[in-house]
Amino acid sequence: MYPNWEAIYRDNVGWVYGLLFSKVGSRPDAEDLTTEVFLAALRPLRTSATIREVRSYLVATARTVLADHWRRTLGRELTTLDDELFDPALPETDTSRDRTAEADRILADLQPNYRAILRLRFLDGLTLKEAAAAMNVTVGNAKVLQHRALRAAAKVAERIGV
Amino acid sequence: MSRIGRFVEKVSRQRFVERVLRQRRIGRARIDPESDAELRTAILLRSARLGAGSVREEFVTSLHQRLSSEFAADPAPPAPATTRRRRFVQLAATAAAALGVGVGLDHVLTGAATAASPVNQSDLEPDHATWRTVAVSTDLPEGGVVRFDTGTVVGFIRRTNGKVAAVSGICTHLGCKLSLNRPADQLDCPCHGASFALTGAVVQHRLPIPLAPLPDIAVRETGGVVQVFTPNA
Repeated sequence: MYPNWEAIYRDNVGWVYGLLFSKVGSRPDAEDLTTEVFLAALRPLRTSATIREVRSYLVATARTVLADHWRRTLGRELTTLDDELFDPALPETDTSRDRTAEADRILADLQPNYRAILRLRFLDGLTLKEAAAAMNVTVGNAKVLQHRALRAAAKVAERIGV
Repeated sequence: MSRIGRFVEKVSRQRFVERVLRQRRIGRARIDPESDAELRTAILLRSARLGAGSVREEFVTSLHQRLSSEFAADPAPPAPATTRRRRFVQLAATAAAALGVGVGLDHVLTGAATAASPVNQSDLEPDHATWRTVAVSTDLPEGGVVRFDTGTVVGFIRRTNGKVAAVSGICTHLGCKLSLNRPADQLDCPCHGASFALTGAVVQHRLPIPLAPLPDIAVRETGGVVQVFTPNA
């Protein structure tokens, strides 16, 4: 059991954020949704619930908050929080390691210039201009390349089921 | 899709991906569902960046401050008379949930909560109240349900076997306003998906705590109108 709501917050804010980030991909959105989760969940949780129950409840709340977010923005649930992602005994605080393995599997299946543009932009964080310079192509070419590479990557992701 | 439609779609899709790359709020967008796999891949690749899922310390601190002020401004309500019984039920729910580990999460939560659905239905008996007309009798045929709002109380009146009855229209969990789900003939909470029968009984919820049924509200029919006994503003 947690002694108070502050302990609940400190122990769980990291993985709640990480989980939501891996589902929305944007820091300000993940921060907004994390705020919503704790505002909604902490009040009813100020009872004598076990750590496992608290975490299960936080995940259930995060699932609802994420679904609402996508319905509000896109009108459909682009990503969802699945049960298998979550182990209440040991929630993952840094989801980027799992994601890195999945990204590597996708990138390995792509032709070299597709792999390069996606790596430079998504993993290394270069701007379009910087990525174009690094690949020795025009900005316009880099833009087209990125679009085609992402489409190809999506097909690979669907095929290998990540 | 028209040429213009395709162009608009392309711009929205590119903007979505750029916002993921630049870490901006994604915001509202109209994008063809055919592009969903690409959008999901963009999110996956972006969250694979080293340390991408680590929360900022500044954010942790500012949210902590916000939560502190929320809770300081709204202290816990005084314990009701049934505290002892509730605590027992709470423990029972906890134990049930612990035993249910390994079952799907929703089942654990629903199962625990239903097994311990303990709280008796209460009547709303305000100290200073008056009868207020909320509907004319003809608006409430047999089987009908009408929502009312007197300013101090919101609720639903219904007519079953000729008799009128009323329950509160506020979820007993956190106070969200319930909406009438006509096909299912129940009252649904928009916040956490709890639902109540028109009689006020709990139909289902996924909360790890016991949920009280909706209080009954005194109602009468007189001179062709339906009135509820609700407090003065």
